[in-house]
Amino acid sequence: MMRDHAMDTDHIDCASAMERLFEFLDGELGPELEVRLRAHLEVCSHCFGQAGFERRFLAAVQAAREAERCPDRLRSRVLEALQREGWTGSDTP
Amino acid sequence: MRKPAATDAHAAFSAVALAAIDDVYRFARSLTRDEADAEDVVQEAYLRAFRSWHTFEMGTDVRRWLFTIARNVFLRSREKGKREVTLDDDGAEIVDAAQAREQWIQGGLDAILERTDLGPAIAAALAELPEPYREAVVLVDLEDQSYEAAAEVLEIPIGTVRSRLFRGRKLLQVSLAQHAMDAGLIPRATPAPSAE
Ligand SMILES: [Zn+2]
Repeated sequence: MMRDHAMDTDHIDCASAMERLFEFLDGELGPELEVRLRAHLEVCSHCFGQAGFERRFLAAVQAAREAERCPDRLRSRVLEALQREGWTGSDTP
Repeated sequence: MRKPAATDAHAAFSAVALAAIDDVYRFARSLTRDEADAEDVVQEAYLRAFRSWHTFEMGTDVRRWLFTIARNVFLRSREKGKREVTLDDDGAEIVDAAQAREQWIQGGLDAILERTDLGPAIAAALAELPEPYREAVVLVDLEDQSYEAAAEVLEIPIGTVRSRLFRGRKLLQVSLAQHAMDAGLIPRATPAPSAE
C-alpha cells in the first residue's frame, strides 16, 4: 500500500499538518489521516489556531456565495431555445 | 423497467436539469465574469445537455454533469478569442511575497470574517483570481463539489485540484485583505516601503 512519505510516521509534524489542513477541513483526507491530524491539532496550539482561522475563512467564502439566481429573462430564453429544439416539457421549478 | 417515453424524458429534464439552472448560471458567471457571455454559455449548455440527455445517468450528480458541459461551452467559445494565460504557477510569486505579511493578513482578515457585509469584497477578490484557481475555488467552496467532482469537471488530476485549491485560497486571502483595506474594513496597517 502506498503511503505519503510526509505522513509516514504515527505523529504528524507541523509542516505536514499545515500541508494537509485544507483537505482535513474539506473532509477529503480519509479516515486514517483525519484521526492523526485531529490528534495533532489537539496538542499543537499553533496548528490549532491556524485551523480555526482557515475554517472561519472558508465559512465566510461560503456565506458570501451570491444568492444570485438565474434572471427570469434568461430562463425564458433558455426555455424558448429548448422548445425550438423539440423539448415538450414544462418549466416546473 | 421499460424505457421511458420521450415525454417522460422531457419531464425529467425539466425536473432534474432545469432545476439546477441557478447553479449553472452562477458557475457560468464565475467562468466568464461577464453577464452577456454567461447567458450565452447557459443557453448553449442547456441545448447541449438536452441533446445528450439520454447519456445522463439518473441518480448521479446532475450539477457535476452540467458544470462539465458549461465549462466545455465556455472553453470552446473562448478559442475564437484570445486565450487567457493559464500557467499553473501563475500567482505563486504573489503568495510568496505575501508570506512576510502573513501574520498581518490573517490578523486583519480574522477580525472581519464574520461581518455580513463582506460579500462584495469576497466577490471582487474571487473575480481577480487567475482562472485555474478561480475554477477550483468556485467549484469546491461555492458549489460544494468534492475534489473528485472538481477533478472531473476541470479534467485535471485530483492532486492538481488539491494544489490549485491551496494556492487559490491563499491568493484569495491576500486579495481579500487588499479589498477589505480599500473598503476601509481593515485599517491600513503596513506602510508599503515603495509607496509614493
Ligand atoms: Zn503543529
